[in-house]
Amino acid sequence: MSLLEMRDIRKSFSGVSVLKGVQLTVESGEVHALLGENGAGKSTLMNILTGVLPRDGGTITFDGQKLEHITITQSEKLGIAFVHQELNLFNDLKVFENMFLNREYANKFGRLDKKRMRAEARELFERLGVEIDPDAVVADLKTSQKQLLEICKALHLHAKLIILDEPTTSLNNEEVDHLFSILRKLKAEGTSFIFISHKMPEIFALADRYTVFRNGEYIGEGRIDETTPEKVTIMMVGESYSNAEVYEKRALGDEVLRLDHFTGDGFHDISLSVKRGEIVGMTGLQGSGSSEMLQAIFGSSRATAGTVTAFGRTVPHNSIHGAMKAGIAMLPNNRKENSVLPDMTLMENMAISEQTLTAAKLPVDSKRDKKRYGEYKEMLGIKAQSSDDLITSLSGGNQQKIFIARWLNTDAELLILDNPTQGIDVGAKAEIYRLILELAKAGKTILINTLEIPEIMKVADRCIVFYDGGMIRELAHEEINEQDVMLYSVGITEKTAGKESKKS
Amino acid sequence: MKKLGRIWSEYSFIFVLIVIFIVYAITSSGLTWSGVMNIFRHSAVIGTVALGMGLICLTGEIDLSVGSMLALTAGFSVIVFNVTGNIFLTLVFALGFGALCGLVNGLLVGGVQMPAFIVTLATMLIYRSFAQYFCQHVDRALIGGGSSVYKMDTANASYQTLFGFGNGKIATIPNVGIVMLLMTALFVYISSSTKYGKKIYAIGSNFKAARMSGINVSMMKISAFVICGLLTGLGAFLWIAMNGSADPATTGSSYEMYAIASVVLGGIAMSGGRGKMLGVLFGAMSYTIVDKIIVALKMDSLINNAIKGIILILVILVQVAGPQIRERFRKSA
Repeated sequence: MSLLEMRDIRKSFSGVSVLKGVQLTVESGEVHALLGENGAGKSTLMNILTGVLPRDGGTITFDGQKLEHITITQSEKLGIAFVHQELNLFNDLKVFENMFLNREYANKFGRLDKKRMRAEARELFERLGVEIDPDAVVADLKTSQKQLLEICKALHLHAKLIILDEPTTSLNNEEVDHLFSILRKLKAEGTSFIFISHKMPEIFALADRYTVFRNGEYIGEGRIDETTPEKVTIMMVGESYSNAEVYEKRALGDEVLRLDHFTGDGFHDISLSVKRGEIVGMTGLQGSGSSEMLQAIFGSSRATAGTVTAFGRTVPHNSIHGAMKAGIAMLPNNRKENSVLPDMTLMENMAISEQTLTAAKLPVDSKRDKKRYGEYKEMLGIKAQSSDDLITSLSGGNQQKIFIARWLNTDAELLILDNPTQGIDVGAKAEIYRLILELAKAGKTILINTLEIPEIMKVADRCIVFYDGGMIRELAHEEINEQDVMLYSVGITEKTAGKESKKS
Repeated sequence: MKKLGRIWSEYSFIFVLIVIFIVYAITSSGLTWSGVMNIFRHSAVIGTVALGMGLICLTGEIDLSVGSMLALTAGFSVIVFNVTGNIFLTLVFALGFGALCGLVNGLLVGGVQMPAFIVTLATMLIYRSFAQYFCQHVDRALIGGGSSVYKMDTANASYQTLFGFGNGKIATIPNVGIVMLLMTALFVYISSSTKYGKKIYAIGSNFKAARMSGINVSMMKISAFVICGLLTGLGAFLWIAMNGSADPATTGSSYEMYAIASVVLGGIAMSGGRGKMLGVLFGAMSYTIVDKIIVALKMDSLINNAIKGIILILVILVQVAGPQIRERFRKSA
């Protein structure tokens, strides 16, 4: 008998049907990948299972028990735990305090038995091979440790089923491996997992079975070892998906960006020359300096030495406005935190950067903004109803396009894209790649930083691998492959010793 | 139904004013034109100050010092008037000194990045204390011979002109009310139709994203505090023009709270980024009418703040609970 059986689950929000009779079956001791694009209904289904949302119809059986009206406490008691993408930890509390929050051990006078809580936490960490100090303050932990702490918290509640919502988004590959080895161990002990992720390699490395949703409908399920990433992707996106090569070689112009011994927080001594129309991919493990360096070019992270020359002019350090005036634009990582102005409309979100450059002319030229908005909507293929809708009404991919428009609108010639496809579904990702190439063809110079190497393989003319704050390797388009890039980014270079990097 | 809900949430301040006005019309025996115009007169100072507060709240900050700033600026402006006898210089001083007080707040909040609540709490104490201290320790002649009040020199040639401005009318509308309406119009324009306004909203909406869009967040915050100081200085000028004096202990007392309440009643979110400057005018006028109602009912004016507080809670209750009730209604339907 299956651990979890959800049948014919239906749910609609204000008349819009988001789950149209979907099903999901999870066996004991398996990792079940739940797949689908953003908006396919995965989160809604998980929220129904954990009692956050009531369902409109369908049956749920968990551990042999039919569940009627699920509440959050009830699902917790039954042994269902949800590790959210945005972690639900209290940063100012200690590790063990987080673990035992609301279930503290105390003596009969209400005094906390910290000793026992610490010991129990330590024991659990040791059993799993997790290196966390129970007395550390959560704010000081690395993201990967926080992720593991969330899982430990779930296990401590004797969860039989743990839902992991994109647990690897902010982890580097080493940390992912560690997480996976722990998950495998737990699986062997009989814990089941529902694994929500967009990353195919991870799904194929970890999951036993999968279920695919598309637009709130059940598409199919099966064993991972009987399918391929391509087949699963086609199930997710429908017939429209094609893995066709989008890259094409272009003629490059003169040098437009030059870095000389550029140094700052998290990176040092970077010298680089970039030509007009070039797409340079930057990659490296988290904290390797690639993102920090790009932010420093834009002035949003600290630079301490060296020079940046763009379009023949020296760009001042630590001044976003100065960088913008030099023709540099940056699409920052973490869209929700660094790009979205949630209370403002699509048009206001688009126009804001251009407005800071032309602030001396005080009145807003809404006629011109509207015209520009229309042009970018057409050019970037933004799917939106009215320019007066709030930005939050759009999907992640369309929001990102608005922010690309925000920067194109400043007439910047150098675009820095930091992790531009983060949290965007497969279909929209392909569109963003196509856009990047089109912009480069139109003469824009593009620096793109991403942790996803296939992304660089799709678009970059060359790839620069960062390690420990420096450039460790430069690869031409043909040379880029996942394995080599990975080796360089963990600091292994002997394999290809002798091959010197082509540019200084 | 859905559309109505949206209009309610965006323009609830109009409904609030209408309801309060109807109560006023019923309670006051015989509604007169001059009685209604009086509302403008009595809203003028708080309305002007609240506009500045509205701007600061849109950026997600707060200014608790405006009441004390009003008293200090009004007191010193009286001295300037008594010394110079020049109305224009008095106005310039009031604006400049207010802006300076605002700049102090702005530099500490926007520049040093201290929490606005703490900074302006401190300057609230400081400005009020200065107002009271200097009133006791300057030459009596400078404060019109009074002992604990800054009094304008009534013998001064310009006094009648200034007092006349503060209490005069143009086409039956009080001058000070016109100043407030003009300021409201100006700030409605600034907030909705200028790039400066868009940047203010952007900062309140998400200051990190605003920074990454190229906005100089520190400068913008400093400017918002300076503008609030300017408006408070203007309020101080209107105050002395209307009253001919400023009492350092009571002038502007609790005005920071009334200003914040007007801003909230006007639909501006305290977290910033949402709301309309026009609402501030309606919020301030609603509160003035409450004063009038209490006078009309011959109630003890000590009950005043209780009623204002209750109205604030009721309006926010409807705003917060309204969507929840609607959602539940939809579920059961």
